[in-house]
Amino acid sequence: MGQDNVVEIRGLTHDYGEVVALRELDLEVPPGVTGLVGANGAGKTTMLRLLLGLLHPTAGEMTVMGHDPQTEPLAVRAKLGYMPEGNCLPKDQTAADFVSYTAQLAGIPAREARRRSSETLFLVGLEEERFRFLGDFSTGMQQRVKLAQAIVHDPDLLLLDEPASGLDPAGRAQMLQLIRRLGEFDINVIVSSHVLTDIEDTCSWVVMLDAGDLLRSGPLQGFEKRGTVQVEVVAEATRLAERLTNRGLTVTVDGMRLVVGPGDQGVEQAILEDSAAVDAGLIRMVRGSASLEDLFLQPSEEAGP
Amino acid sequence: MTDQVIYDRGYRTYDGERTGPGGARKAVYKDGIRRVLGLGRKAREKVYPWVMISIAIGMAAIVIGVHWFIGDLAQSLSEGVPTYGELFDLYSWIGLLFIAFAAPWLLIPDRTRGVLSVYFSRPLTVDGYLSSKVAAFATVVGGIYLIPQLVLHLGLGLISDDGFLTYMGDNIDVLWKVPVITLSFVAMHGALAFLLSAVINRPGVASAAFLGVLIPGRFIAAQISEASFPGSRWTSLLAFDHLPRIIRDDLFRDTVTYPAEAVGFDGWTAAAVIAVAVVVSAIIVRARYRRLA
Repeated sequence: MGQDNVVEIRGLTHDYGEVVALRELDLEVPPGVTGLVGANGAGKTTMLRLLLGLLHPTAGEMTVMGHDPQTEPLAVRAKLGYMPEGNCLPKDQTAADFVSYTAQLAGIPAREARRRSSETLFLVGLEEERFRFLGDFSTGMQQRVKLAQAIVHDPDLLLLDEPASGLDPAGRAQMLQLIRRLGEFDINVIVSSHVLTDIEDTCSWVVMLDAGDLLRSGPLQGFEKRGTVQVEVVAEATRLAERLTNRGLTVTVDGMRLVVGPGDQGVEQAILEDSAAVDAGLIRMVRGSASLEDLFLQPSEEAGP
Repeated sequence: MTDQVIYDRGYRTYDGERTGPGGARKAVYKDGIRRVLGLGRKAREKVYPWVMISIAIGMAAIVIGVHWFIGDLAQSLSEGVPTYGELFDLYSWIGLLFIAFAAPWLLIPDRTRGVLSVYFSRPLTVDGYLSSKVAAFATVVGGIYLIPQLVLHLGLGLISDDGFLTYMGDNIDVLWKVPVITLSFVAMHGALAFLLSAVINRPGVASAAFLGVLIPGRFIAAQISEASFPGSRWTSLLAFDHLPRIIRDDLFRDTVTYPAEAVGFDGWTAAAVIAVAVVVSAIIVRARYRRLA
């Protein structure tokens, strides 16, 4: 396996007894911000814990930042930051103390850890509250502390498990903005979420899991290019729809308006040719981007990049 | 009004030293000591440990004061002022109550608040985590036993009529006997407290269970050991709280006699039982945390 990708997985399977959490995954995750999407129980958290070396796979192999988490777990964890989904904060410590402590756990000397703790809490917007006890923090503030502890030691790869979980809309937007910012600082991030719009707003690459199976993996731009094309014609809408359908395209007709696709850029060429052939009189042709949710709900053979 | 600008410092990468797993263990050790002593915590979490520490050191100061007041060390020892060995009866109670608080607070909050998921995402193994917690525990509890005895020893030396150096020379055996007895107390009580704290999720319940096993256990084991059935004498060794005291009796030749001593067990047997208890506790606690990690 090469080292250009932050994560490389071959034939990965993990089960909890009778329950198969992940099934024969082959996957490569490039540098950047990657979304790990799936419904609850799809296997997202299991995958993150496998990447950390906290779980051992039933079968298959993987590398994380060039290291095998099964044989070199400490080397992998030295390069990772992890933000768990659930509660993980000691209520009896201040934010500054806790984040400094987690930096020291990653091997940063105490004095530098304290300095980075302050800087990181500043970055996540908690500079004023850093000496308050974590038990007095709101959910949104706790999520920020969880993010701060995950990045305080300058990890090469950041694993965020449902980072916007439990936040109100404003808090969710702020958290997503923070994650986008981490991407701007060239920190590699894998962010798991079951909320597809979070991924659309944040990530450049997306991995979709469904009940332990890999549904899709690819650049988010590629998914967007496979959106539908909205067409408006003067006449012959039905005949145009028939011709496009014969090409294997999905077409919905509403009066003189058609929605064609989803499909790649060849769809526009087909519409131009067929509208000319039936003399439909093309008024308007606009490509709309498919939402991640649309793609997630489609059978994989229709929409896989 | 001056022109002032707020700069966004952004995110700073770190290219400095990384101490690796050793640094992680050291961090757990330091945090363990701070937690037990309530440092960096709210005021109410400082009260209990520091009251206990104050009592322990205060008792040493009182004993020194009594000797000072009486003025004749040899005479005072024969008139009932506690000796080094007898002082363990006092300090073991302070230690017992301190351990009942310290071990649950060291282990349980990390587990029940989900913090372990963060800790084990760092270059830290289960063995590293547990060994650092044990080291923190031994440091603080050992200090509870040793520091007052050290204060007492130095204090008695300073007020001795024979002079400081003569007193130190005459009592040189104290310098190894007291640490050995301290180790036996810390090991026996610590093994039980860690075991209970690893399987119970509420600190208060774990504290009560610890005291509930040790204190009534002394009397129950004594009663059973006096019964006449085959092997009944072995049950006297289940009075775990007596085991370090038997070692203390062997080393200082005090007159206190426990049921296990009465049926023929000596300090070596007690040490062996303590060692077995430590090993069994370590195996169970480690297995429990490996599942959690």
